[in-house]
Amino acid sequence: MTDRLDPRRVQAALVCMHLDPAYAAAVRGPGPLPELAGRERELLRAVDPRTLAVDPYRRARAVHALIEEYPAAAALLGVPAIDAFFSTLAFRTCVFEHGSMALSFGTWLGDQAGGPGRIEAAIARARRPRPDPAPGLSCNPCVAPLLLPAGSLACLERIRARLGPDPAAALASARPLRERPPRGPKQEALLIEASPAGEVSLGTASEPLVRLLRFAAAPQTHAALAAEAVRLGAEPHEADELLAGLVADGLLVAG
Amino acid sequence: MPGFLDRVRTLPRLGLGVSTEYGARRQDGALDPLELRRRRPDCAGFLEVGVEVVKGLDDDARAWAAGGLPTTYHFLDINLDDPDDFDAPWLAGVRAIAGELRPAWLCGDAGLWHLGRRDRGHMLLLPPILVDEAVAPLAEGLCALREATGLEVLPENPPGAAFVGELHLLDFFARVAERADTGLLLDCAHLAMFQRARGLPPRAGFDGVPWDRVVELHVAGGRVRNQAGLEWVEDDHGTDVLPDTWEIAGEAVARAVNLRAIVVECERNPIEAVLPLFDRVAALWPARGPEAA
Repeated sequence: MTDRLDPRRVQAALVCMHLDPAYAAAVRGPGPLPELAGRERELLRAVDPRTLAVDPYRRARAVHALIEEYPAAAALLGVPAIDAFFSTLAFRTCVFEHGSMALSFGTWLGDQAGGPGRIEAAIARARRPRPDPAPGLSCNPCVAPLLLPAGSLACLERIRARLGPDPAAALASARPLRERPPRGPKQEALLIEASPAGEVSLGTASEPLVRLLRFAAAPQTHAALAAEAVRLGAEPHEADELLAGLVADGLLVAG
Repeated sequence: MPGFLDRVRTLPRLGLGVSTEYGARRQDGALDPLELRRRRPDCAGFLEVGVEVVKGLDDDARAWAAGGLPTTYHFLDINLDDPDDFDAPWLAGVRAIAGELRPAWLCGDAGLWHLGRRDRGHMLLLPPILVDEAVAPLAEGLCALREATGLEVLPENPPGAAFVGELHLLDFFARVAERADTGLLLDCAHLAMFQRARGLPPRAGFDGVPWDRVVELHVAGGRVRNQAGLEWVEDDHGTDVLPDTWEIAGEAVARAVNLRAIVVECERNPIEAVLPLFDRVAALWPARGPEAA
């Protein structure tokens, strides 16, 4: 930590203070805060805590934004669990490191909401593609191949249908959900594709295809990808044609 | 490139104008800019269009632009001090929208428009950190946007309740304007919020302002609120303009020799309710019409 004042770091901390009273109290308190240099913290300690609370709905709006992208996870875990994200290191890291709230939430969520939560996190990722400039063939960043406990997709669709078009309103008035995400050993293979306009298609796919695309999460050479295709069951003489077809379909992209 | 005080001579005098942003008129009774122009062209000399690139322009803004009427482009989605925010798709969007609006200039609050990267659910608006270290990054962003669009970019003092840093807001923006060699948009209501927050009189810091760089003013209604004993001002764009804001506006009009435009921010109010407000602003700036250019 340099002692040079970085106004963007101060601004990031101020955002966290606005959204998380506990963090604001920590800034004012005596404990160590390695993310802030001494003068940065002094500036923030001078902030009247009442000025951070003049907009009482700021955090609620942020929670609402996450529920729009993670309705099933919110239904499975409860809105307070979503709200709790804003008091985590994961959220502060997102703010300090120019991240995406929805992506950081998905990483933080992990397996807490099982397959449905992982599907929603994958949709959030596919909607926010970050092309990998490294050379080689890789899975299209707008495509998310998933292997999840069988029944995850059906569970997600049931919950979303129950919540209707306004999940936040439904969750505000609904009784707690009794449904639990499937956790069994049997798996289902899913493929998510997001269009440039943000529309998402979601459906089942063959397991070898999903495994091949997952192998291509990081750029691979054509030869390595062809070898993996053969290992997953393709005939050796078909591998080149298979990869060309996946490129033509936009599932693989060349970097 | 000539200095700003030479460039400002080429900027048109727009007179009094009104602001809008995407979907502003969905609210019942909200102001119809074209109807205001039909009834009182002296009040609606131009339209200041608040733009989020991801949303584009709504029907009101498109209709105004299609008529070839004067506009300014008010950005709502750029953290000017953050080079990562100037990504190619966003800049392409700005250029496309500017091509449709053909604005006299770009302007907008020079604060934090979104946390993290530009993304859904990230929008907020916080003032800049008022320290000398924040001047250069902000000035560089203003220059970058000016170069990318070929238009003047006027930073506006944002609203807020929590102002961090030892500098006075006006001193901070004076330094930014000098460093970027640009003009300024002074929001009188936002400044009144700052002065109140710091316990200062409305015209504190006026002597340090480079008034010849002030090209545009905003006047808007506000409401005094109380948060656990703290009085603060909500920037509600209603029709009740606080006395501090009037005092600031009156003095700013008198000092800003290169003033080109005043926006009365009242987009969610019916025309009948806002006409007295326009009349009072007009009285501050008698030679206000485009004919006075």
